[in-house]
Amino acid sequence: MAAVLEPYIYEGGIHKHGLLLELLEDLGGFLVQKIPAATEVTLIMLIPNKDIHLMEELAIKLLGKVKKSPLTGTEIAVVSPTLAYHHLPHSACDIAEFLRRGGANTNMIGLARGMGRRVALSGDYERKLINEHDIALFSFGTFSDCIINKKPKLFEGIDIPIVVTGAPDIKTEDIPNADMYIGGIGRVSHRLRKGPELDGLDNMNAKVSEMVDSVREEISKDPLAVLPARVMKEIKDQIPEIEHVLTPAPITIQLDGLRVKLPYDEFHGKVENIEFDEGPLLSEVAKVMPSKMKNYILIKIQRKSEVGFVI
Amino acid sequence: MAPLETFVVESTIPEEAEHYKHIISDAITDLVLARAIEQIKVVIIPEETLFYMVIVLRGGMSPVKVSDFAQVGEGTFGESEVVIDIDNEAYLPQLLENLWEMCGRINVHQPERKTVSVSCENPLEHISEIEEMVIEDPQRTLQSRLVDMAIRATPEGFRVRYHSLTGNHFIFVATEDIMKNEWIEEAHKTLDELTGGEPSGSSS
Repeated sequence: MAAVLEPYIYEGGIHKHGLLLELLEDLGGFLVQKIPAATEVTLIMLIPNKDIHLMEELAIKLLGKVKKSPLTGTEIAVVSPTLAYHHLPHSACDIAEFLRRGGANTNMIGLARGMGRRVALSGDYERKLINEHDIALFSFGTFSDCIINKKPKLFEGIDIPIVVTGAPDIKTEDIPNADMYIGGIGRVSHRLRKGPELDGLDNMNAKVSEMVDSVREEISKDPLAVLPARVMKEIKDQIPEIEHVLTPAPITIQLDGLRVKLPYDEFHGKVENIEFDEGPLLSEVAKVMPSKMKNYILIKIQRKSEVGFVI
Repeated sequence: MAPLETFVVESTIPEEAEHYKHIISDAITDLVLARAIEQIKVVIIPEETLFYMVIVLRGGMSPVKVSDFAQVGEGTFGESEVVIDIDNEAYLPQLLENLWEMCGRINVHQPERKTVSVSCENPLEHISEIEEMVIEDPQRTLQSRLVDMAIRATPEGFRVRYHSLTGNHFIFVATEDIMKNEWIEEAHKTLDELTGGEPSGSSS
């Protein structure tokens, strides 16, 4: 039985951070993302839960901090009605930044015609793109009438859990098809930095984490045939070209899959033929398909009930 | 006089109006309009997809001429040039642009930070012309900022718009459905309430 992995973030100096990476590898954990910034480094990791104290002790020696990041390993779509300055950069970008601080990978999606009440609508391509993520977070505005009566038509065709943010205090049940409503974060034209605004964002991270936990729990009832983090490690080992991809997260982990930022036509064969030590190929335990985002590769891992075994 | 004597935002639910007030005040701050606006009233009724905004501006902003911030005189040593000594550098870029357009770039020199000289045939004839040149018209830049602010403050989907700018009075009505005449009348009535039925002042 594989060890239970817990998501953590390390924040500290770049000096000697290689020691942490070595320890992580020895313990059987996975590095999800490494973000160097001048003399600082942020490491997003999955650590076996029995050995977390070892990492914490080493982090203290290196004068850094290890803290839990419940959103690690999720890819969240932050959807705003359009890309106009009515919605961006505040508050949608602030929302995305806060989710990233929690460890999530976020993609900002501005709909082409999502503005207004009667005229708001979403396109087929947009819906398919949103459905590739783990959670869709819709960032709405000030008026409860719009959020309750008009905007929910943007949720049509979205199969993943839907989180809605807005300014008024309303109940989730009042919004048709929404799985969670978070109030206190409406349309603003300035950076969210005042006390109540930051409290609202903290509250949002806590609630989205709850939702991620419930999705993880649901997955654990019929577990994935292989852990996404394990697939990531095998891709790094077996497809050296991934090292030359310049995007911040060349392999993005999702709750039930991965997005690999390599061209589909050229690399899908190599990805399908990734071999695990236990024997099976990746194509036997997962579906490898073209992503709607650029020409990337999307991998969705199958469940134990579908393939009959867990690696 | 304190800026923004009246700043009212009304909506079906008062808390939502309060929240929307922050959006509008951010737009006013971003576009540096606080001193230019005397009164502002905004009404938003989401159920009817109606947004209207009535603004009373402060008057009395006259255009800035060269003579307001510089001394214009003849060049020394009998050279055929006009020399402009500037007191306020804020207007310098626009002054240079205007002079380049008028006399050609090759004839305009800036020997010192606050001195501009223009080579020309009969300097004495040009002095009064340059003195009267309008460098900035605050009323005009104000209008463009005002329109920008109105569009920023309006909910994005409300693309059917009516606007009227008479003198110091600005009315902006926006919706996403067909514009109704009674909304425009209502906005005009609100303007009358704000001004107490006074005429709009100088026309621009």
